[in-house]
Amino acid sequence: MSEPITRRKIIVDYRINATVCQDCGTIYFPPKSFCYNEGRASRMEDLDFFYKKGALYSGTVINTPSNKFKDLGAHISGIFEFPDHGFKIPGRITDYIPPEDSVDLSSLVGKEVVPRFRRNYSGSEDGLVHYSSLNFSFGDEYYPHQEYVKIEPSKEVEKPGIVGYGVYLPKYRIKNEGRGVLGVTERTLPFADEDTTTFSVEAGKRALIHAALDSTYVTKCFVGTESPTYAVKPIMATVAQALELGEKFEHGYFSGGIDSQFACKAATDLYVDAAALVNYPAFEGEHVMVIGSDNSQAAPGDPLDYTVGAGAAAFIFGRRDVIATLDHYLAYTSDTPDFYRREGEKYPRHGGRFTGTPAYYKHVLTATKAMLKKSELAPEDINYVIFHSPNASFPQRAALQAGFTREQIAPALTVAKIGNLYSGSCPAALGAVLDISEPGDKILMTAYGSGAGSDSYVFTVTDKIVEKKERTVPVQEQIDSPHKEYVDYVFYRKMKDIN
Amino acid sequence: MVQKDGPKPIAAVVGAGRTKFGELWYDNPEKLLVEAGLECIESVDKGMSRKDIEACFFGSFLYQHTNKRGLIPGYMAQELGLNIPITMTEAACASGGAAVYNAVLAVKSGKFDTVIAGGFEKMSDRVDKIMDDLMFAADPHEFDAGFTFPGLYAVMMSRYLYDYGKGDEQCLDALAIVASKNHHHAMGNPYAQYRREFNVDAVKRSALVADPIRLLHCSPISDGAASLIITSPEKAREMTDTPVYIYASQQATDNVALSTRVNLTGVKATRLAMGAALDQAGMNISEIPVAEVHDCFTIEEVMYMEDSGFYKTGEAWKGIFDSYKDYEGLRHIPYVNKKAEVIVNPGGGLKADGHPVGATGVRQVFEVYRQLRGEAGDCQVESDGDLNSALCHNIGGTGGICTVHIFGRDA
Repeated sequence: MSEPITRRKIIVDYRINATVCQDCGTIYFPPKSFCYNEGRASRMEDLDFFYKKGALYSGTVINTPSNKFKDLGAHISGIFEFPDHGFKIPGRITDYIPPEDSVDLSSLVGKEVVPRFRRNYSGSEDGLVHYSSLNFSFGDEYYPHQEYVKIEPSKEVEKPGIVGYGVYLPKYRIKNEGRGVLGVTERTLPFADEDTTTFSVEAGKRALIHAALDSTYVTKCFVGTESPTYAVKPIMATVAQALELGEKFEHGYFSGGIDSQFACKAATDLYVDAAALVNYPAFEGEHVMVIGSDNSQAAPGDPLDYTVGAGAAAFIFGRRDVIATLDHYLAYTSDTPDFYRREGEKYPRHGGRFTGTPAYYKHVLTATKAMLKKSELAPEDINYVIFHSPNASFPQRAALQAGFTREQIAPALTVAKIGNLYSGSCPAALGAVLDISEPGDKILMTAYGSGAGSDSYVFTVTDKIVEKKERTVPVQEQIDSPHKEYVDYVFYRKMKDIN
Repeated sequence: MVQKDGPKPIAAVVGAGRTKFGELWYDNPEKLLVEAGLECIESVDKGMSRKDIEACFFGSFLYQHTNKRGLIPGYMAQELGLNIPITMTEAACASGGAAVYNAVLAVKSGKFDTVIAGGFEKMSDRVDKIMDDLMFAADPHEFDAGFTFPGLYAVMMSRYLYDYGKGDEQCLDALAIVASKNHHHAMGNPYAQYRREFNVDAVKRSALVADPIRLLHCSPISDGAASLIITSPEKAREMTDTPVYIYASQQATDNVALSTRVNLTGVKATRLAMGAALDQAGMNISEIPVAEVHDCFTIEEVMYMEDSGFYKTGEAWKGIFDSYKDYEGLRHIPYVNKKAEVIVNPGGGLKADGHPVGATGVRQVFEVYRQLRGEAGDCQVESDGDLNSALCHNIGGTGGICTVHIFGRDA
């Protein structure tokens, strides 16, 4: 498929865009600019099914996929309908591995489905990665449907901070047997059609739903990652297009942003920039989204191969309806070569034990101690502490050395069940902590990025967290989901390498 | 039966040729087309010369793509050795039927007296890429959704089972019977790709390709070509004493994307083309004793027996199941309804004879041509009286196009 064709498909497929004739009600997908019943005089209206729920009309298990879907293996393709609108589209069921025997497809007819932003197929002759939302998961499964209700932001301007967040963890997991590896007992991994870009969009979607914020108000977006889908081509642009960030104009959007890279702190260090921007008078907008997303890479058999996870967390910063104010920030940096990957290399390398004391501990503890001093807070003033979690052992040890208790760090140790999300590590843990926070709680978070540096923040939770709580998909729920599915190492390795 | 005082023929077939269908690894597509073309020219009873051909209409689905060629009429002029008007039609599996349609149209218009209509495909040249190539005949969103071509018919079959089968095992049996019956019909066909019997259990046990479609519900990947000499009814008598007249030639189209159709359990293009063709021939479906019905997948034959009006909507599976019960010892197994019976796909259809996509619509006419002339050998349909009419139904994609032709022996 050529680049121009791909661009035209993006406009239609990312959000399942259609048009409806306002006179006769005929729906067109792909969208038509006029209705064949009404001719050129048609009054057409745009439709968008990105946040809608549908139902399976008829399905089949494709046991022998076409070449482009070989990586995916057997899967369900089907015709899906949006009953409220009376229109149908072709699509695929994702996050589902069909059994080898015949499936009772009749029992699936009418089952509720939720559109998901996924790869159509991995790789193609043109080198482009093609995405769409014509992929669905069952509504009563791992990914329930959420309404996207937009609430106009309050007129009251507050201290800047977090106005909404969303954490996306994939459904598939792999176990580390016994007591795990450095406290990591199970980990998330991408499905065949997932990658850093799809994680980013899904997390951003949840953040918008949680904030109940009109996406046109988000005019800047940063995506921090160390497993970018392309060496050159921004994930941010895909996120802006899929989530419609900023005012729409000629199929583009008035928003900006970049992808950033600083190992595992590529996203967190931009939280302060986001908060600063919303205070900057020349910034045309009031909300900034920061996403930390990774399909964390590790060479097969490397110790890291037993701790890496996959997923993303998105945070929206603003000055209205803030759920946690950003009170303090500082960062500490040194040129420490503990973990690195050159262009063209598939997996990162690291300095083994050198990544510990002179790298992780030195930066995390220096930044944390400086933060306590700067904020004039003692460890006991903090309700929850979050440290970057390459595993479950490092952050606990660092917490104790900085004067915190095991109880203060325990809710942030999501790494034990989801693995190290690299750029998404601290963000996902911050999400887990906010899930259980009460107004007035103080949170100290120190991220770490190899190479090396730490950024440290203090947040104070506000009353607004209570009214937004029902719109979260809590991290713990995702960790404990009865629909999660365990896979073996061979499957895990295949998923890691095709993404 | 075509009424003597009813509609008059619009054209006639006076010659027909074809190659064997199968995996013909050593033949290039041009060779196949030339072979079928020569055979059909040589088959004309009173003889004809290649130079008597005034125009050529032929169908192919994948030739341009597989061989990375354009300007196909020019290449075909080289093969024919004639600098006559040549038109290629591409209509997926109905490329052949569309070529016949255009040839009839050209003769009926009076522009030409005698034309050649052909179709060919060389699917084995694409080996492992053919599953992807066949999706050219589908909506791009269907490809992006991970569909394969069997998969598209599988969602139709799946919905048919849901709406009409309602868990009845006899419905699944009927869908296997179609395959078993067509393989049985092919046993006497020397050109067929698969002259091999499969019982209903074997079909139902075969590997799942796109659940609920199994391997033996599918027609094969085939190479082959077929060709016809089509002329005006007046000219036909100069070329043979036993022409096969064309009484109806119709084509209808529909949206390619299944999701845009009102339902998945029938094909509108079949209903439109079939209705128009029967009207044109002044006939009722129950008067057709022999029919070539597009059976790329067995669910198609079931649905088209309903779309044609032979069985009521949702009831073909019952009719097919009942028809099959007492076939022991018969060369052909007819489908029976309350008023009539019809032999469907007497030479094995796409299922067993083979389905070189662009050739199929022409091959169907080859089959009824020899049936109506009583030249079908071990495949000859036995009839109480003279076999006097037959029908060819050819579908492209999942019903994006349909051609129907009705033939008779009497003028």
